Amino acid sequence: MSSWDDDDESASAATTDVELLKRAWRNEKAAPEVLRFDKDLVDRVREQIQLLVRHFSCPIFFFFRCSCGGSLTVRDVVVRQEETLDDFTDSGVDDLVVSLYQMDLDRTLFLLRSYLRLRLQKIEKYTMHISRSQDLKDRLSEQEQKFAKSCGEIMEKHLKQSVLSKLPYGYGDEFVTKQSLSSTEDDMIFIFLPVPEPQLDTFVFCKTKSDVGAFQLDDM
Amino acid sequence: MYGRRASQLVREIDSSEAGQLAPFNSDIFDQVIRECNEHNAQFQSLIRKMVEQNLDIETTRNEDHYGAAIHHLSLLRNKRCLMAYMYNRAEVIQSFRWKIGPVLPHDIQEKLHFSEKEYFKNHSAAIKSYISEMDIDLTVDMVPPKDPYIQVRVLEDIGEVSLGDHSVSLTKNSLHFLRRTDAEQFISQGLMEEFLE
Repeated sequence: MSSWDDDDESASAATTDVELLKRAWRNEKAAPEVLRFDKDLVDRVREQIQLLVRHFSCPIFFFFRCSCGGSLTVRDVVVRQEETLDDFTDSGVDDLVVSLYQMDLDRTLFLLRSYLRLRLQKIEKYTMHISRSQDLKDRLSEQEQKFAKSCGEIMEKHLKQSVLSKLPYGYGDEFVTKQSLSSTEDDMIFIFLPVPEPQLDTFVFCKTKSDVGAFQLDDM
Repeated sequence: MYGRRASQLVREIDSSEAGQLAPFNSDIFDQVIRECNEHNAQFQSLIRKMVEQNLDIETTRNEDHYGAAIHHLSLLRNKRCLMAYMYNRAEVIQSFRWKIGPVLPHDIQEKLHFSEKEYFKNHSAAIKSYISEMDIDLTVDMVPPKDPYIQVRVLEDIGEVSLGDHSVSLTKNSLHFLRRTDAEQFISQGLMEEFLE
């Protein structure tokens, strides 16, 4: 399953950041576990969105969607924007064209928000599972790690004050003594409460994008 | 039978519809807590009895030992049920932040345990701090946008607002055709609603 995030690197060479974001979003949506956060991609997309919002009245989005490679830099955008500004001062900007750009921008913003949202929701769901594994923690962005930490603390506080503090002496303790959600050891955070984990051992439908050749499946 | 009440709580979670929340069952919850204390009292008295008989509590395997073990295990089972009850409710409660917003309507508030209210508040704050750190509002745009413009109805007098290159007078009950991104901030504040014919 871990191959979700690093699949078809070869195909990514010729796509735009928006396409890459769409792929990351789709993978995140389909995968049961949280995938590696693509900070560079998110940063690039945000930079581009900001530039677009700032200069919204000039339609450059179209140009960078259609004519740019995956590694678009800010300077590219600025240069292109100057070109298009000139183009459009001659012709006058069509309202319809502007609204098409706006729509494209809206869609990209949605993708970005939904991507970040999906990740937060997975973190909420598997807080304890993630906090037990350094590998999973490393997949989160800095802000997400912070969020995961506070999610854990909040849940811990809630369970302590609603249940554990009311149990007889000694029975509410395990949680207190063995807690420390931030520690990396596999200590039993919730003794007698299984930690919810994503279901990874399951069947999925696959479609091959290119010839894979003979492929050895387990016990087949 | 020991543990029956606690299993009722778990069954309640199991039978409720996904994403729905039943009122906090404080009646049974408190009964289970009392049962736990009763188990503990019994457990302690059996151990005390063994100590008074000068038996080694580590190795003795008489009826008192097994009695104590049953009380101990019943208590642990109750604990697990209580934790599962609270945990599963908390999961539903945290989903409300995405579905409903930072302020819960009165009828949901009434269903919550006081600690659950606090949980919701703290959890919302955690999301809020993530959003402000990332500087992108994740609570808007919950469904993919279809059209950059939407029809809205103004719910309260907002007054003259400049949107982009022109200004609009937003008076109560007036209808406007605005850019979705412009309208969204007013909608999330409850000053406007999307007008669907």
